[in-house]
Parts: sequence; structure tokens; C-alpha cells
Amino acid sequence: MGVLHLKINGDDLEVAAPGHWTLLEVLRYRLGLTGSKQGCDKGDCGACTVLLDGKPVLACLTLAATVQGRHVTTIEGLLPAHVAAGGKGADPVQDAFDRCGALQCGFCQSGMMLSARALLNRNPQPSDAEIKDALSGNLCRCTGYTQILQAVELAICEAAGRTPTPRSWERASCADSGAASASDSGERSA
Amino acid sequence: MSSKLPASPLEPRAQDGAPKKKKILVPKVENGHETMVEIEVDDVAGPEWGPREKLRLLNHEFVRVDAVDKVTGRARYTHDVRLAGMLYAKFVACPLPHAEVRVDLSAAKQVPGVVEARVVRDGEIRFVGQPVAVVAAKTREAAEDGARAIKLDLKPLPFAVTREQSLAANAPEVNRRGNASKPDERGDAAEVTAAFARCAAAIEATYSVPVQHHACLETHGAVVDVPSNDAATVYHSTQATFASAGEFKGPLKVSDVEVINEHMGGGFGSKFEAGVEGRVASELARDLKVPIHLMLSRKDEFLAAGNRSGCTATVKLGGTQDGKLVALSASVDRFGGLGGGSHAGLPYIYSVETSHRSMRSVYTHLDGNRAMRAPGHPQASFAMESALDELAYALGVDLVEIRKRNVGDVHAKQLERAAREIGWAEHPHKSKPDLSDAVVKVGIGFGLSQWGGGGHPECRVTVDIAPDGGVRATVGSQDLGTGVRTYVAAIVAEELGLPLGGVTARIGRTSYGPANASGGSVTTASLAPAVKHAAFNAKRSLLEALAKTLASAPDELVLDTQGVYDARSKRRLSWKDACATLPPAGISAVGEWQANLASNGVHGAQAAKVRVDTRTGEIQVVKMVCVQDCGLPLNRTGVRSQIFGGMIQALSYALFEERVIEPDLGLALNANFEDYKLAASREIPEMVAILDDDDTRGVIGMAEATIVPGHSAIANAIHNACGVRLRSMPLTCDKLLLGLAALKKG
Ligand code: FES
Ligand code: FES
Repeated sequence: MGVLHLKINGDDLEVAAPGHWTLLEVLRYRLGLTGSKQGCDKGDCGACTVLLDGKPVLACLTLAATVQGRHVTTIEGLLPAHVAAGGKGADPVQDAFDRCGALQCGFCQSGMMLSARALLNRNPQPSDAEIKDALSGNLCRCTGYTQILQAVELAICEAAGRTPTPRSWERASCADSGAASASDSGERSA
Repeated sequence: MSSKLPASPLEPRAQDGAPKKKKILVPKVENGHETMVEIEVDDVAGPEWGPREKLRLLNHEFVRVDAVDKVTGRARYTHDVRLAGMLYAKFVACPLPHAEVRVDLSAAKQVPGVVEARVVRDGEIRFVGQPVAVVAAKTREAAEDGARAIKLDLKPLPFAVTREQSLAANAPEVNRRGNASKPDERGDAAEVTAAFARCAAAIEATYSVPVQHHACLETHGAVVDVPSNDAATVYHSTQATFASAGEFKGPLKVSDVEVINEHMGGGFGSKFEAGVEGRVASELARDLKVPIHLMLSRKDEFLAAGNRSGCTATVKLGGTQDGKLVALSASVDRFGGLGGGSHAGLPYIYSVETSHRSMRSVYTHLDGNRAMRAPGHPQASFAMESALDELAYALGVDLVEIRKRNVGDVHAKQLERAAREIGWAEHPHKSKPDLSDAVVKVGIGFGLSQWGGGGHPECRVTVDIAPDGGVRATVGSQDLGTGVRTYVAAIVAEELGLPLGGVTARIGRTSYGPANASGGSVTTASLAPAVKHAAFNAKRSLLEALAKTLASAPDELVLDTQGVYDARSKRRLSWKDACATLPPAGISAVGEWQANLASNGVHGAQAAKVRVDTRTGEIQVVKMVCVQDCGLPLNRTGVRSQIFGGMIQALSYALFEERVIEPDLGLALNANFEDYKLAASREIPEMVAILDDDDTRGVIGMAEATIVPGHSAIANAIHNACGVRLRSMPLTCDKLLLGLAALKKG
């Protein structure tokens, strides 16, 4: 058991953990930061995604010892980081996920949102294909991804001061072929 | 004095003693399977949802009340529970489908950190992945080291993991009563044969679907804490908090079990039981007197936590020249491993004049199937919709017309709407696939769904109003992710004129009051009426109390979003001021299920548009449409999310998912997310979910219906695109290329 010097969500921490532990083990089983989920423990599901110096990594495949001295951001740190950077409340990605109903069980969400945050850090105006690529390592069994993609688009548009194009499902109602609908009369959340 | 007063809606039962009773049919769901049973309920006017245009929150889109907890990582799942002194437990599974197993624990007990190692089951083991031993240790890592140190002495026994192996003449015995169950026969075979003679055309083919996994992102498991001799707390990732508490009492040997399930990472039908993980965690916690954390590994989850059974169906279907279905005969084999499998039966949804079907289970040395979102329905849909499509082409009848001709009005209307949205009228090749030399081809396909989704009386909801104006709704129900917590708060807020944030919903604990198991899409129709009733009663009590303080009468008081208005004194009180007049204990009201607030039976129509690349065999779904009724939608955002989720599970089933067991060695080849592929962001087409707002009934669950027909529509679209009929799922590029090659040969 050695002592690891980690920078997690802006805090400098000394953590006693075996040198071969993964970052996910340290987060979940030493630090009580259980927002990073353990969906598969072998790099397949993306539920454990965290940011390392702003880039997404799978915490279950990352040795904790190798991230010493670098900045780790977990889902618990996203809101405080946004506030520290002068923002109000939640990170725009969190806010958009919240408003678009981009989650059901929520088990995939922290990884999904951190992948989205990392994308927007490196490319504030990604194309639809780039959004899909950036999230392609994050599995979600519940939502069908549709509102997740919508949420990312909303976060992008709001940052750029644009209004997102309404999705075709927002335009369509049962009675007609898409002219007027309940959604158009203002019940949309996004 | 004696003149009859109109019955006050506030006093529905006070007129002449006991209320009248009436009999109604309600769905009863056991392990996800729905049957209708008759029950007696009070025949009285209860609360009403009221006109939809008057609703302020319900039937609108709103944000989940637990979204903030979920997006900030604060939401606590069973996997996240950490208790003082807790040990982590891990299973060791049998790698073979059928073996005589002896477990040697001695080395495991020497591993540093290991506190206990036990045999879970030895002797004859009957499926790949069956847990045989468990290790409990101070850290998860030590538990894994301990598990690796356990030595299994395996004597392989003859096994059957495929249909052919199970039905072979010299097959090993899988089920004592035979490897195939006695076929369940419906209909008259001779009549059907005669009916085929009247058909203008008939087709016959065999359709098969593989075993699918639930693949909940949070695996099964529990954290069990037994702090005293007569009480225990179980944190459990379960769809049935209440039933689960009953199950845990046995192994825990205590009379009082509180089950806690604040948030859970999906269930889809697989999480009804305490399971071997619940039993073993309980025994360890009871014996070692420390909390035990036992969550299945992803591999355990794939092999021992249930699945959707596979099936093959040989179907013969015939119809008249104009597409009326006249005769169907079908023989179905279900593959549920050691379980019976599920199948909704044939004909499915469409009415056929005469039919005969024979259905049986074929048993194999694999874990038993469990209920999975609309158990048995996607299997039935694939055979029915494919056969119907083949018949339509054989008869030269339009694919939408043939469907409309054999269903009721609601489905027919929904089909038309789906066809419009997907662009059927403009589609260039409706009655024939595109057999040109084009490299990339586009096709459209359709499918229908149906489900019950009604409610029944099981929930008891409490609504408390505190003198500080705080409102709390409390019920033991679990939220699988569907948004239960949110609509509980919304219904109460709607009734009391409050904003959504004015009500706190507390759910997910047995001590919060009885609730039904969440299976068969019955939660919404069972719970929402009870919530409404509790809110209605709370409002009544509040107005009665206020009437006394204000020297007014309850029916002179109006509660709306501005607070309380007293028509007698023409005074207005804000919500806060009104509540401030309450005694310190505030108000507490209870609600129960109200038959008039729920309904039953949903319909849906789906369409898919695909693009196939005839050189590579790549299949890309470009658009999916779902038209769905669901009675009163409580939260339209949530309903849409259910629809999208169901449709993508079907897309994933269509294109990717299949449990693979190597037939000669009986080894599981893809018990992980790398080799068992789920649809992910890149595969998501343009999605359109249209709620059928013509449906003005009460609340109905609709989540199961949404998964039923998507894969069938995709398979049909592939055929429409290029002429290859894929009759065996998953619909992969190798099968498509073989099909294209066969077409070319003619
Ligand atoms: S837990 Fe790290 S990718 Fe699944
Ligand atoms: S919301 Fe459940 S896995 Fe994504």
C-alpha cells in the first residue's frame, strides 16, 4: 500500500491505496465518489468515464498511480468546476441533460455527460456525427439516446446563443402531418 | 329538510352506509406476465383527472424531480451503498453447462483480507455461469483474489445447449419430464387445412429470434445489513421492493425487513427476485454480523441473471386476393434455457379467420429466461409481421393496406399516421423490393404493438401538508428509471395548485407504504390513481380545516395556483398563509387505487426506414416512427423517453444482440459488453414518437408496447429495400450478403 497524490475535482488528496488500483477503485472504494459508475469494469460501457486534464478516460482502465499530478474531474466536480469558472449553477451539459429528460435510470449519465463535456471542451461546435462519435463509447440501455443527443445539441446551441432546430418528434402530432402540435404550443422543455 | 341533497363529491361514501360494489377486470402481473382477474371495488365517484386542457402540469413536458441528483452524481444506487464494516462478496461461477462440481475453498481462505469463503452449490450444476461459491472480503479486490483462489473440481457431464442437441435421440436429460414440453395446441388443424384451400395465396417459412439479454447498466445485487436479531435493512436493486422484503425474511430469519431502493440502474423485467445473490448476501450478513455488499459482475449478469427467451416459429399464412387473412398454422419452439420461455402466441395482433398453433418449450443447459419488457411479444411479432409481409408481396397488396384490413380502427388510424410520417406515399417501390443494380437501397417496413398496462389496487399513498406549507407524498414504490418519483410529485402539485417543486416525493422504501411490483407496465396505472386520491383527500381535509378557521364552508373555498380563495368573505390566502393556520401536526391523507382514473389496453404502430449497402451488407436504420396511445400521458417527456428507449432496444435486438454459446464446448462466448453489442449513439436514426392524443382514457402504462414491433419493421424494411428476406435475427451483414448472392443466382 502506497500513498498516491491525486488532484480530484480541484482538491489535492493523499490516498492510501495499492499501486495497482485503478482510478475507479480509488474513486469508488476509497474516496466514496460513487458518481462514477462501475458498469463492466473492463472498458466496454463508458459508465466510469472521468476527465483527465479535460479529456475523457475510462477510470476502470486507468491506473490511479499514473494520474498523479494531473487534474481529474468526476461528475461530482462538474458543477463546482463550472461555478469556480464563474458560471452559475450546473454545467450547461448537466443543465441540458436535466431539461431534455435525457435520462431514465441515470446509471450511464455521469459517463455520458463527461464525454459530452470533453467534446465541447475541444470542439464547441461539433457536427451531429461528431457528437455521436464522441458518445459512442457510452452505453445507455434505457433512453434510446435520442434525448441525450438532443441535450448535447441544446448545450451547444445555448453556448452559441442559437435556438436548436426542433426535432421532428417535436413537430409531429397524431392528428396531422406535422403542421401544428401540442409541442409547438409551448409545452416543450427544450 | 327531507329534500334530497345532491351527493357531495367530497363525501362520496356518506349517503347510505356501505358504498355499492361493482366488479371490474384488472390485470395481475406475476414476474412480468399479465393475466386479467376480476375484483370488486366501491362503486362511488372518486376524484377525476378533469379536462385535459385544464391540466397545468400533467400531460405536459416537465423535468424530472430527481434529475439534479442524477446529473450531479448524488443519486445513490445499491452498488454505491457503503456501510461501516461492510464486506464485499463475489461469486465463483461454473464455467460449464453441465458438470459434477466439487469446490475447494482452502486456498481462498488463506488470501489476505478474505473473511469467509463458502460453497453456494455443489454436486450437479446445470447451467453455464451458475454460482457455485462465494467469497466475502474486506475489499473488493481481496474478494476477487479469493474467488480466483477457489479451486473447482469439474467433472463434465453431457450437455445440451442448442435445440438440436436437446432434441437429439441420445440427448442428455435436461428436464425430468422430457427435453421438450408437451405441445400446447390451439385451434382445429383440419379446419385450417380446409381454409387454406380458399386462399388466393399462402406462404410458409420459419422465423427465429435469438436469446436477448436485459443488459441493465446496474447489475443485480443487494447490500444486506442485519444490525439486530429481529430487524434488517436490505438495499436492493429491485423492481419489487415489497415482494423483495418478503423474500428476504426467509434467509435473514428476522421478522422485520426494510428494503431500500432509492435509485436503480434499470431492470426491464429481470429484477423481480431476491435471487441467489440476495439469498447468499443475507446468509453471509446474518452469520458474519456485518453488512454484505454483493453485486453481480458483468459476466455473472450475462450468464445468471435472466434473458429474453429465443424461439423458432414455422408459420403458414394465407389470405384472400384483397388481403383478408384467412388461415394460419404455426408451430413454435421456445428456448428459455432451463425455463419455459415466453411467447405471446400466433396469430399475433392481426385477426385471422381460422388458425391452429402448437407451441412447446425446448429445454437446454442455460439459465432460465426471465420476464423481459413485453415478455413473449417481440418474438411473436417477428414471425407474424414477417409472414404477413411475405403474404402481402405474394398477393400484391400494399403493406399498409394489408395490415389495416386485419386490425381494428385504432391500429388502422395509427398505421396511416405512421405511414405518413415515414413517407410511404412517396416511396418509389411499395409492392416490389428494389431489384435494380443500385448499390445503396432504401426500404420501409411496418409493425404493430399492443399491451395491457392497466392498474390494480395495491398502492397506499400518503400526502402530508405541513404548517410551513411543505407537501410530501410518500409511497414505497420503486422507480426503475421511468420517472415514478416525478409524476408522484406532479399529480399532487396539480391537485393542490402548487408548482412541481412545491411537493417532495418520497419513494423506494418499504416503510413508505405498500406498492405494486413494477412489471407489465402496471406501475403507472396502479400508482397514479392512488396518488391522485391521496392528494384529493388531502385537499379536502385542508379545506375542511380552513373552513373552520375562516368560519366559512369547504365548498365556498377554492384552491388554485394563487392559494385559497374564500367566496364567503371574499378573502384570499396564500398557500403558505393557509397552511400556517393548520395545527402543528398538519394534515395527513391516504389514497388508494381508483378504478375510474385508470384504463387498460394500449396500441401502437411503428415504421422503419433502412438503407442497405449491397456491396458491404451494411444495414443502417435511418428513421423510426412510433405512433402510440397511452391514455392520459402524465409527463410527455417521460412518455417519449419510454418510447425511444423501447424502439432502440428493438433496433438493438434487430441488428446486434444475440447470446452466443459455443455448441461443442458449451462455453459462453460473449458474456460481456464488448462481444455482446448494444446499440449506441452512432446507430441512432432519426426518431419520431407521436402520442396518440385522441385517446382520452385514464392513465395506462405503455412502456412494454414500445419494444414490440421495431425489429419486425426493420426486417421488413430490409426486404423492401433489396429483396432479401432475413428470417433469423440478428439481421447482420453476413446474412444479408448471403441473401443477396442467393438472389443473384435466382
Ligand atoms: S466500468 Fe469502465 S467502461 Fe465500463
Ligand atoms: S438512463 Fe439507464 S442506462 Fe442510461
